[in-house]
Amino acid sequence: MRRVERWARDPGLTLRMVLVLAGLSLLYVVFVSTLIWSGLDAVSVLVIAVLLALFQIFLSEPLALASVGARILKPGELPRLQEIVERVAALAGVPRVRVGIIETALPNAFAMGKSARSATVVVTRGLLDLLDDEELEAVIAHEIAHIRNRDVLVMTIAGFFVIVAQLVFRFLLWGGGGRSDRDRRGGIALAFLVSLAVWLIGQLLLLALSRYREYVADRVAGLLTGRPMALASALLKIDGRIQRIPQRDLREVQEMAAFFILPPIRRASLASLFSTHPPTEERVRRLEALQRQLEGLT
Amino acid sequence: MKRLLDILLGRAARPVPARQEGLIAISTAAITMEAQLGMKPQPIAGLVFKPMESVYFERASEELDGLLRIAVRETNSRYRLWSDAYGYRWILLEDPDFEDLVATLQAASQILIEHGFGSQLLAAVFRFTDRDGKPFYWIYQFKLGKFTPFAPRGARQRDETQELRLVALLERELPVERRPEHWYALWDLPL
Repeated sequence: MRRVERWARDPGLTLRMVLVLAGLSLLYVVFVSTLIWSGLDAVSVLVIAVLLALFQIFLSEPLALASVGARILKPGELPRLQEIVERVAALAGVPRVRVGIIETALPNAFAMGKSARSATVVVTRGLLDLLDDEELEAVIAHEIAHIRNRDVLVMTIAGFFVIVAQLVFRFLLWGGGGRSDRDRRGGIALAFLVSLAVWLIGQLLLLALSRYREYVADRVAGLLTGRPMALASALLKIDGRIQRIPQRDLREVQEMAAFFILPPIRRASLASLFSTHPPTEERVRRLEALQRQLEGLT
Repeated sequence: MKRLLDILLGRAARPVPARQEGLIAISTAAITMEAQLGMKPQPIAGLVFKPMESVYFERASEELDGLLRIAVRETNSRYRLWSDAYGYRWILLEDPDFEDLVATLQAASQILIEHGFGSQLLAAVFRFTDRDGKPFYWIYQFKLGKFTPFAPRGARQRDETQELRLVALLERELPVERRPEHWYALWDLPL
């Protein structure tokens, strides 16, 4: 009887993830076929894109850390935080993760690293000030769940063709495609439209995938710490605080939005369809459902 | 292939079940530690786990208490419970017979595993003392199913040389974790 492992399952979410991945794959097959058929130099486009993706996977981590102003903690610095991270990592069975800090009042956290072996959890000073130890532990567990699910890598790879489509679209928009003779014009026009469609639809699918993976990380964090409500409380605190933070502070962390525990930018007018993270109320609702499951009230 | 699918579907982060094989090996390793290395096993051990806010977990805890009370009656052991600053719960067992100590500890962890809470088990900790009276701990990590060394010295320092030495010496008798990135510390141990 593996009770906790059973609680960890969420078939509805898994199914939705399968559907999104299938949709993305289909979209990509259509895109690549069109690219080849249109007579564009598809090979060099793909080679450039692969190089870009490799760059992103292997070199982006130090760049990303630097771009958000994160600093890796030295041994013995903020021992409480480092020990909470170590405990959660040990409980999850993953090797030591590095801990970084950003000196900003904006409370947030994110995880990066292509594998569990070279992972970093970064928190902001504002997060440490805002949360108590239990809530901090829950947020750390959420980030460690992202690391174990390889979410950065999965999102990078899943988003690969969306970036290619975007590149092709921009290239064609600025009159690319070379000296096109009459035969190729139809192909180029089609490639233009398909790239635009792949870019837009792909982006929506990726956002959905990102949101589903947030729910998964929330659930795992709730089980790992044994207290789903500690994470719910942390999310509500972070959320309440974020809305009062001036925009100027938000911009410097904008590009990292996909991996933050809560998106640093919130616009009430934007539908949740366009968000990397699900709305806090929905995340809390799901954590409450998990708590009821733990208490045998389903 | 299964691993790849787990990663794609976000299942790779699910709780890891506890492993128990190899825990018992500490009984014989303790004899070697004392006879060959002069490291005396102490009559105390700790089991540390992350409690869960769940009625099912409370039921498992009650059964655990029952087992410990029986163990106290039947052997020469004592136990106490302790919660640390990180919200983990400790069962601290004392027994002059090291083999009984290990057996009771294993039975206690078995109860949590049987109730489906193996994933909440963090570690079992055994204390040894060298000739100079300095402590050394073998930490059994349930997620790895392996032992890791821990030689704390003063304020948040550890004696890595001693840790490497004991891993090298005990490797054949004890399932030790060789990758140092898994050698987590457990500061402020209550034993």
